[in-house]
Amino acid sequence: MRTHFSMMAAAAALIFGVSAHAEGVTNRTIGYVLTNKSWATYQTPDGKAECPKGFNDGPREQFKALFPESGKKRTLAETQFAREADVWFPSETEPLGADGKPLPYIDVSGKTALGMNLDGKVGPNDFTSPEGEPGIDNQLYRAVGCATGFRGPEGAYTFFQNDYMQRYIFNRILIEITDVDDLVNDNDVTVTTYRGLNPLLTSANGKDFIPGGTQRADERWGKRYIHSFKGKIVNGVLTTEPGVTKIPYADTFDTNVDLTLMQARFKLKLTPTSAEGLIGTYVDLKEWHHHFAVNWTSHHASYGQLSVPSITRAMARLADAYPDPATGKNTAISAALAMKFSQAYIVHTDPKKKAVASAQKKNQVADAQ
Amino acid sequence: MPAVVKKFSPKTLGHSLRAGVSACAVALLLVSCQGADTPATSSTSSPATNKIAEPAGLASPQRLRLMSAEQYTNTLAGIFGPDLKFDTRFPPLVRTDGLLGNGASSAGVSEAQLEQYQRTASLVAAEVTNPTHRTFLIPCQPADETAADAACASKFLGSVGRLLYRHPLPQDQLAPLVKDAGEVATRFKDFYSGISYVLEGMLMSPEMLLIAEVAEPDAKTPGGQQLAAYSLATRLSLFLWNAGPDSRLLDAAEHGELKTPEGRARVVDMMLASPRLEAGVRAFFDDMFGFDDFATLSKDPETYPFFTGATAADAREQTLRTVVDHVINQNADYRDLFTTRKTFMSTALAPVYGVPTGTGWTPYEFPADSPRVGLLSQVSFLAVHSHPGRSSPTRRGKALREILLCQIVPRPPANVDFSAVENPKSTIKTQRERVAAHLTNPVCAGCHKITDPIGLALENFDGAGRFRTTERGEAIDASGSLDGHEFKDAVGLAKALYDAPQLTSCLVERTASYGLGGSLSDQTKPLLPYLSQRFASEGYRFKSLLRDIALSTAFSEVAKGGTEVRAALNSSTPSANK
Repeated sequence: MRTHFSMMAAAAALIFGVSAHAEGVTNRTIGYVLTNKSWATYQTPDGKAECPKGFNDGPREQFKALFPESGKKRTLAETQFAREADVWFPSETEPLGADGKPLPYIDVSGKTALGMNLDGKVGPNDFTSPEGEPGIDNQLYRAVGCATGFRGPEGAYTFFQNDYMQRYIFNRILIEITDVDDLVNDNDVTVTTYRGLNPLLTSANGKDFIPGGTQRADERWGKRYIHSFKGKIVNGVLTTEPGVTKIPYADTFDTNVDLTLMQARFKLKLTPTSAEGLIGTYVDLKEWHHHFAVNWTSHHASYGQLSVPSITRAMARLADAYPDPATGKNTAISAALAMKFSQAYIVHTDPKKKAVASAQKKNQVADAQ
Repeated sequence: MPAVVKKFSPKTLGHSLRAGVSACAVALLLVSCQGADTPATSSTSSPATNKIAEPAGLASPQRLRLMSAEQYTNTLAGIFGPDLKFDTRFPPLVRTDGLLGNGASSAGVSEAQLEQYQRTASLVAAEVTNPTHRTFLIPCQPADETAADAACASKFLGSVGRLLYRHPLPQDQLAPLVKDAGEVATRFKDFYSGISYVLEGMLMSPEMLLIAEVAEPDAKTPGGQQLAAYSLATRLSLFLWNAGPDSRLLDAAEHGELKTPEGRARVVDMMLASPRLEAGVRAFFDDMFGFDDFATLSKDPETYPFFTGATAADAREQTLRTVVDHVINQNADYRDLFTTRKTFMSTALAPVYGVPTGTGWTPYEFPADSPRVGLLSQVSFLAVHSHPGRSSPTRRGKALREILLCQIVPRPPANVDFSAVENPKSTIKTQRERVAAHLTNPVCAGCHKITDPIGLALENFDGAGRFRTTERGEAIDASGSLDGHEFKDAVGLAKALYDAPQLTSCLVERTASYGLGGSLSDQTKPLLPYLSQRFASEGYRFKSLLRDIALSTAFSEVAKGGTEVRAALNSSTPSANK
């Protein structure tokens, strides 16, 4: 049973002693707050298994390849402006370098990836999970896995998207699991996502995120982030049915964007104090490109060796879902977000006006095929 | 103004300010008792308690006290408003008979302290006279801002001086101040520079910083003496508001209202009803509970990752909010503070308690089956009276006895061998096993028998105050005892403490000495049984206790014979206590 209560009711409940034990499930409910996220990348220490041809160039290296210092006079429009335009309106193919060949781009060529089998099939382009599960759909990883900025934990993009998520409140993401009878095995639970309104709770040394904090669910301005999923817990692992959800996704300040996760489903190892695992999903190419270009300037991209236009082209090439009815081209790509949560008490503010968007749009599954 | 205190005028230029301070301090070394005849005071009793009579002939010592940093801040906030930006890093007082406040009557002022007073005074004077504040803090505008204006300076310095010095400034005291302001204004071609200069001197003058009580003959008691009206007003104000008297209180003193039983009762009731009472009550309990220890509280971040600086600050605030709400807003039985489930919660504290909370401070009540009950199970008590990395039944038991029961636990002997309990390779798992070593050594056992059985009942709370059922994998046995009352956990301890008669008599003793401005003398101690009786008959309502003390004869009568009060303003002796 979900315990929703208004702020007044919340205060009253606190005053009159709603039971709240130290850790774990209270009133058949447990909440978690996201503390770490990254696009799931399977990595070996030297990268040889997944990226035997090495890693991709970033904007600086590509600029040098396109415009070597040969004494030739070039205008700004031909060089910097053209590159910037390519960020926002990427061409379909890689531009030709000074050697007359298209700029190279390296896809992941390894066979192993983190992720989930989203379509229930085992296709020729699918990966196998580290645990041996075939049919893993994560073509985003194939597109970005050899870009150093996406590798963790030192990759610039991975680092900063966590840094900004942890420091700023806008993209605070909560999940609340309700109808929980047993946190280890329960065949019928409900998972609801919210945007949170509080800072993360850090340890006294300031380095770690610890459980036990309070998060107010944004049920006024953040209704678009509220989505419910039916799920089950088996041997401490939560899995949910697929559904659509939207999450706040800001990688730098003042660049707040929403990211739609289509056919998203959770797979999280639960404990009373933490949850860790994946969201397998499809992401829309245009939305992802917009989010990436807005969040990640050429300055940042250069340090992370992330070429926004090249990555966008690779994603379009590797897209594997939601074909455009007119062109037949896929408009979405399979992906997985690796996530870590800490337990948090979720306080609800508006029980009557809450609007839980239905996540059970199973027809979307059919649309994706 | 019947005081014999030599009037002090901050000198105008150069080094004369400090010289003036010293000269005035010397004048304050001896304060004799004289003044106009006024009627004696007596307490006003409610019907339920008027059969309990105060012993006759009680008189408290006449005091010279050093103003605390908090009193200084509160006083200035009352005069100029709370938005002035300055800090008062005054040296701490020496805890005496359980209270820092008692130490104020035996404090010295060193050169280094004087520097700090000067720094604060300078900041305040600059704030008051800056363009932002001068328009509403200075009640007049000079005819010409680039020149002296005696009329405006006199109006401001006269009104502010009355509040800073806690009595009206006679003309022979005000005129030199106005003259000084005029000279500086002329020199700097700025009226406000003159005001700032003089105000700085007033803010660090002994008349501001030292509270010298003045006595006068009591006509109703031949040979007896009582506090002069302004001194009585000041004693009341410091007691109930932890600040100097406001204009209304000084008016009451000026008009003789404090010298009639009815008038004094009316004034005290006004003070008890004032929002400023909260500051007074907070200050008293902050002092009594020894919360100055928070200044040095630290926890091992690896052992207690959820205990941050914000946690410590909020722990102190939580207890003070609980107390203020209980004894002022609810006007509830003091003893219930140790059994109540009600408190307030903040975001920094909630993780330690393992509960959700709202935004900011939120009223919170622990469930009836919660192991948390009363102040003893709050983080403030549990964390302060523990080690940085582990709990301490001994410290907790000692604190309970000394702070809440006014008992003295002797210090450990100098040659005590701690190796048995501090060996890091020890196989000891629980604190109960650890402190058991105390009881095997007769040298230790004497004291530990009176502390450890109390503290062991709080072992379900770790060194940061978090609830636990095991320690190093071992189930915790939280049974204990207090003076023959045995219990199985903190809830039982709370009940035993509730029933302990010393709980209330200790509060009476601490509150009385706090109100009377210092440690109780033999002449004053007979007041305590009377106050305790009344406190009990009034249902242990703290506000009633404050009222009884404020209206007692001992509060206004001072020991006859010209009690000497001493203040050491010895620049070479930083803490020249008596």
